[in-house]
Amino acid sequence: MKKNAGFLLVVTLLIVCSCKKNDSPAPVVPVVTTGVYVLSEGLFNSNNTTLTYYNFATSTATTDFFASSNGSGLGDTGNDMIIYGGKMYIVMNQSSYLEVADATTAKNIKKIDLKTATAAARQPRYAVAYKNKVLVSSYDGTVAVIDTAALTIDKFITVGANPEQMVVSGSKLYVANSGGLQPVPDSTVSVIDLSTFTEIQKIKVPLGPGSMTADDAGNIYVACIGNYTTVPPRLVKISTASNTIIKTADTAVGKMRFYNGKLYATGGYLGSSKVRALNTTDFTAASSNFVTDGTAIKLPYGITVDDLTGDVYVTDAKDYISSGEVFCFDKTGKKKFSFSVSPGLNPNTVALIRK
Amino acid sequence: MHCITTIFLVAGSCSLARAQVADTAKTLKKVTIKALKKQNSFTTATPVQSLNHETLQNISAGSVADAARYFSGVLIKDYGGVGGLKTISVRSLGASHTGIIYDGIPVSDVQTGQIDLSRFSSTFVETLSLHQASIQHSLLPARIYASASALAITTNTFNPVAQKQSWQAGIKAGSFGLWQPFAGIYQPLKKNWILSCNAEAIFSKGDYPFYINNGNFSEKTNRNNSAVQTFQAEANAVKQFKDSSTLQTKIAGYVSERGLPGAVIFFNNRSAQQLWNRDVFVQSRYTKTITTTTALLLSAKYSHTYTRYTDPDFLNNQGGLDNRYKQDELYLSIAANHQLGKDFIVSAAADIAPAWLSANTSGFVKPFRFSNWNNIALNYVQGGWQVNGSLLYTHVSDKTDTGTAAAAKNKFTPTLAVSWKPRAGSPFMLRAFYKVVFRMPTFNDLYYNFIGNSLLKPEYAKQYNAGATYSQHFNTAIKQFSISADAYYNTVKDKIIAVPNQNLFVWTMLNLGTVHIKGLDITTELNGTIFTKLDWFCRIAYTWQQALDVTDPSSPSYKNNIPYTPNNAGSGLVSFSFNNWGAGYNMLFSGTRYTLGENNPYNQLDGWGTQDIFISRALNTQHFKVKIKGALNNISNQHFDVIRYYPMPGRSWSISILLNNS
Repeated sequence: MKKNAGFLLVVTLLIVCSCKKNDSPAPVVPVVTTGVYVLSEGLFNSNNTTLTYYNFATSTATTDFFASSNGSGLGDTGNDMIIYGGKMYIVMNQSSYLEVADATTAKNIKKIDLKTATAAARQPRYAVAYKNKVLVSSYDGTVAVIDTAALTIDKFITVGANPEQMVVSGSKLYVANSGGLQPVPDSTVSVIDLSTFTEIQKIKVPLGPGSMTADDAGNIYVACIGNYTTVPPRLVKISTASNTIIKTADTAVGKMRFYNGKLYATGGYLGSSKVRALNTTDFTAASSNFVTDGTAIKLPYGITVDDLTGDVYVTDAKDYISSGEVFCFDKTGKKKFSFSVSPGLNPNTVALIRK
Repeated sequence: MHCITTIFLVAGSCSLARAQVADTAKTLKKVTIKALKKQNSFTTATPVQSLNHETLQNISAGSVADAARYFSGVLIKDYGGVGGLKTISVRSLGASHTGIIYDGIPVSDVQTGQIDLSRFSSTFVETLSLHQASIQHSLLPARIYASASALAITTNTFNPVAQKQSWQAGIKAGSFGLWQPFAGIYQPLKKNWILSCNAEAIFSKGDYPFYINNGNFSEKTNRNNSAVQTFQAEANAVKQFKDSSTLQTKIAGYVSERGLPGAVIFFNNRSAQQLWNRDVFVQSRYTKTITTTTALLLSAKYSHTYTRYTDPDFLNNQGGLDNRYKQDELYLSIAANHQLGKDFIVSAAADIAPAWLSANTSGFVKPFRFSNWNNIALNYVQGGWQVNGSLLYTHVSDKTDTGTAAAAKNKFTPTLAVSWKPRAGSPFMLRAFYKVVFRMPTFNDLYYNFIGNSLLKPEYAKQYNAGATYSQHFNTAIKQFSISADAYYNTVKDKIIAVPNQNLFVWTMLNLGTVHIKGLDITTELNGTIFTKLDWFCRIAYTWQQALDVTDPSSPSYKNNIPYTPNNAGSGLVSFSFNNWGAGYNMLFSGTRYTLGENNPYNQLDGWGTQDIFISRALNTQHFKVKIKGALNNISNQHFDVIRYYPMPGRSWSISILLNNS
């Protein structure tokens, strides 16, 4: 009996010792000047979306920047981020709200809930800015119009099924209706008049439109994923003057950005594992790999271009369950620098900040 | 001899059974037989652990999942509450490698490959035992040899010694709206028939408080959409024929409706997912001793399961998800053994199991799987040596209505187990085993719309074990002391790991590649009587384990622990009974573990420990016995998650009243 009591005591001590994590010292929050923010979405239902700040001057990455500034995390599955008018807007898909924070300190200003009257999640996906509004697409088939001064939702515009990315061209907003959760994917792009904030037209496109980008000549580009089985992925070019498709190519694109006559594109789930720079006229690429110095990117996930310098940022999701990395290439495809966003997983958006 | 063999289905080999009977030939009360069962579980060639009915009641195990946590080498993945999904993983091999055996016949789920143990209530369970490698009995269906380990659930439906009617009825009430009424009757009839039935219902609101912790922000709230209602019933008929062959038939049904609260998502508390289950099965076993040296076992089972999962918040413009699945499986087995000379027993078994799955989701391929297992085994006992060798041949072929079915698989997998005692009657024993197993990708792995991959390879596991046991009888104060220590090394190739995704019911598969698992299981049991009338029982289990991902040296998870495998885990329980009083204490603990393959502080999950106490009082009236029991669970009110963001209940209480005939 005595032996048993002794053993139990030892075990109880073990419980006490093994249960507590070591408390880490309070994090030092750097001052933001010029650099990039990286949003890492984490994993579904793991509440591990993180924001990283990379400072160009010191070449250091501060991960979990949002949590360090605010004392608590963003939540679940951050899908998109824009920096506009001194504020950062982070679209939280599973937590279903829009985070509005100060662009230089990441300190929370407001959390705008994107839920229905019955508290069901609308599941917001992407954000774009236009004049004094920020527009957010949500999987429940709506685009929310948010006033940047009042930080309230003016109205919801009904579009197609499960809208994804949006682009502004001229005074119109184009929304890709993916239909990703439907039994059969959608195949339309909604056109929204930005003076009346109403849908005026739906353009027919190939199955499963998702990513979009706009050029400087009144054209928009839409990557359509197909249906994963019988219908292959396609890339289309739409003239916003006529709102009709003027070019189609059978090629798979994940995310893309237009810059200086080229479309910088990742292959996405079904496409090439290399980043390509496609011509906007015939969708051909000068080489199968935009990267010219042999830098390997395991799983190109997000892509963005610095309009001032032509630098191309590509995020690397690795294997979806390990810490991600971000690469910066100059316009000739040579790596300038790279940094890890550990412990962040699946970095999807890079946004530049300049003071 | 035959009757005793049936009782010790999950205990020792035939020769050991004979030795034990000689020791305790004086009294043949029920109690004595139970004691013999416990003794044998420490002297088997492959590690066995078991909990009897009394212990299951003492540890307030609602389901067998709660009880299985007390076994060393076991990880129960518990998603919270009474209705939360609970699956068992033994020695880090994963739930698909553990066979669940219900009254001698395997339970199967070809769709998910995992059995939700929350549906097996412990109320009518006579014995729950965990067997590494295989069950040490020479007359077994072939399918049982296909699992790396087996969790055997034996109910109280057949007890050849009990010759009179017995009944029990009771109700348990507890925190968070728990009401659990149950009743059972056991009726021996003329001409060697025994009929028994039991039924149980469980109602629970499951709205336990928990904390949402986001950095410095902490909010106390209640689990919602967590209500459970289940009803299960079973009827058994057993007939012993004049030639002493036995036919046992069971028909059972299970109906449940439960809310799935889902993972805690910051800033989004709502969950409206629901799950319905309607299962019915009929199973039968026929055992016959053909000659004094040959025995036969025929087993058959037909099961039909219906599952319905709804998520009204799913944004598909069709009012949400409403997925319905129907699974049917027929199982037939023939097994025979034969005693060759004094020392050898040779056995052979052949099983077939066709299984069908249909669903109402569009584009579903309606897979059909035909499985066939054939096993031969040789058991050799001589002096202090016992050697068991077996070879299993498995054939699995799939067919689908549309699309590509997985290619047919034909595999040979061997098992070898050896044990040695220095001399007859020695308390020491050394043992070792080697076993190869594989598990087929499930229907979900292969054919689930868009997520399935019909090119998935089966997952292979090689198990090595070496251990020692010591089991000795002392005086009355310590009647029995047994301890076993087993060191093991498992390697897994092409491991298919499931991670909870958007909802509890649908999984995402990650092919991890190669895993090396090292571990040590220590189990000890003691019992005795002190102060003449105070009986006590103590059981302690401890596991040290390290399961490392060794797939890709360039990966950040190389030589990191795979998710949710703590390095340290253990359990302890002690119970006392004095006259009509009973009391006890039990505890569980788990060390820190990681939620992802990359073991960094961000992915680290705190360890946890829970402690329970109970007290009970029996009253005997002229016509029946009453037992009242009160239990306090998680007395320190520790809030913890087994799986991150699926919180477990804090402190809770339960009171139960049980009536049975004297």
